[in-house]
Amino acid sequence: MQASEKEELFPKGSDKTYSLMGIVEGEPLQVERGPDNMVMTYPHLVVRELLLFLVVFIVILGVSMVFNAPLEEPANALHSTNPAKAPWYFVGIQELVSYSAFLGGIVAPGVIVLSLLLLPYLDRNPRGVGVWFSGTRKFGIVMFSLFVIVMIVLILIGEFLRGPNWNIYWPWL
Amino acid sequence: MNKATYSLAESIKLLPVNIRNSVIRRGGGSEDQERASVVFGNLFLHLHPVRVHLNTLRLGYTLGLGLISFYLLVILIISGILLMFYYIPSIDMAYNSMLDLEFAVSFGVVLRNMHRWAAHAMVAFVFFHMCRVFYTASYKSPREFNWVVGVCLLLLTLFLSFTGYLLPWDQLAFWAITVGTNIVTYVPWIGDELRYLMLGGTEVGQMALLRFYVLHIAVLPMVMAALVGVHFWRIRKDGGLSRPLDN
Ligand code: HEM
Repeated sequence: MQASEKEELFPKGSDKTYSLMGIVEGEPLQVERGPDNMVMTYPHLVVRELLLFLVVFIVILGVSMVFNAPLEEPANALHSTNPAKAPWYFVGIQELVSYSAFLGGIVAPGVIVLSLLLLPYLDRNPRGVGVWFSGTRKFGIVMFSLFVIVMIVLILIGEFLRGPNWNIYWPWL
Repeated sequence: MNKATYSLAESIKLLPVNIRNSVIRRGGGSEDQERASVVFGNLFLHLHPVRVHLNTLRLGYTLGLGLISFYLLVILIISGILLMFYYIPSIDMAYNSMLDLEFAVSFGVVLRNMHRWAAHAMVAFVFFHMCRVFYTASYKSPREFNWVVGVCLLLLTLFLSFTGYLLPWDQLAFWAITVGTNIVTYVPWIGDELRYLMLGGTEVGQMALLRFYVLHIAVLPMVMAALVGVHFWRIRKDGGLSRPLDN
């Protein structure tokens, strides 16, 4: 910058007891960081996003070269498989249906979806935002974890421990 | 008009530069202004703000789960479109399409495998993403509505996966969909009608295959794309990703 420009930007006031000593070119103290810990989206975030895409793509491609998707006999409406299993993400529900069709197949999924939809309107306490497992919301964390664990256990039972006629079957026996 | 400047020879000489400049809007100015214009001058990046909080970059915070879900969706859309060139939604031809993909089409197996494994992975990762959002309390005000949008995305993911499950028309597909749609009959009063609506009949047959196909390749993907757009736009409007209060 020209010295004359500095003069204009910061004119020496005759009534001031201080004056601008000089402007130094160079990186600010917080290199690459703006105020409030903000950084430029490009390149910082964009590069990370592209990298993650590469990782996801390579993993899926790799898995697909090694493992083949299942393909059984052509569909035959006269020959049911035994047991007939829903896709794994519905097997937990199917397990519940085997206890009670109405409670397990309709009420339970309905209650799950409704509670998920209403969750942010029922839990109005603003504490703990942005913190993993914040100690200020133990009740919520326990309840949600119970839900997750029960879902996973039901899926595992339905997927691995149910044999013909939906009877319990121990894979290692 | 200055003939020298606009001569044909000159235009041809400057062709690469001019084409490049017409496609990419250069911000000019300082380095940061240049970087800012990379983001807001690009349709695909402009959902991002020009600057983001450092917490957004922390892999340990989001675990990248939402983004992974999105990338799986992208992989599914691309591989799905390619599969559509070979798949015929008829109960006489569908299974043969699978055999063609496996034995006749170059890289057909890999294509089908990618679509299948990415679909399974997406169901899992969307669920993990929901868990992340819950355990970091990111659904709280002002992000309540984006959580609701998310729940709809989870349901859409499940339906997309479920409708796709029937398409190979093998025993696995047929009986899984038979069992799955049987659950619908337990809905009080309208259960049987609901199942009839889903299957276009009382059994899983040609009508059911066609319905699932249309839902799978047209209706649900369009709803999904629109809702993902809303989801991302809301992240921006809700002030970026959630983060702990700055000290
Ligand atoms: C197709 C499914 C989905 C896609 C592609 C998706 C994508 C994303 C992405 C890319 C983000 C940015 C942060 C990150 O990468 O983690 C995000 C944030 C968010 N998602 Fe999703 N999401 C999906 C489903 C869901 C579900 C099922 C929920 C909850 C029920 C949800 C609720 C949220 C919320 C509340 C945020 C903001 C989080 C924050 O501010 O920290 N999303 N989503």
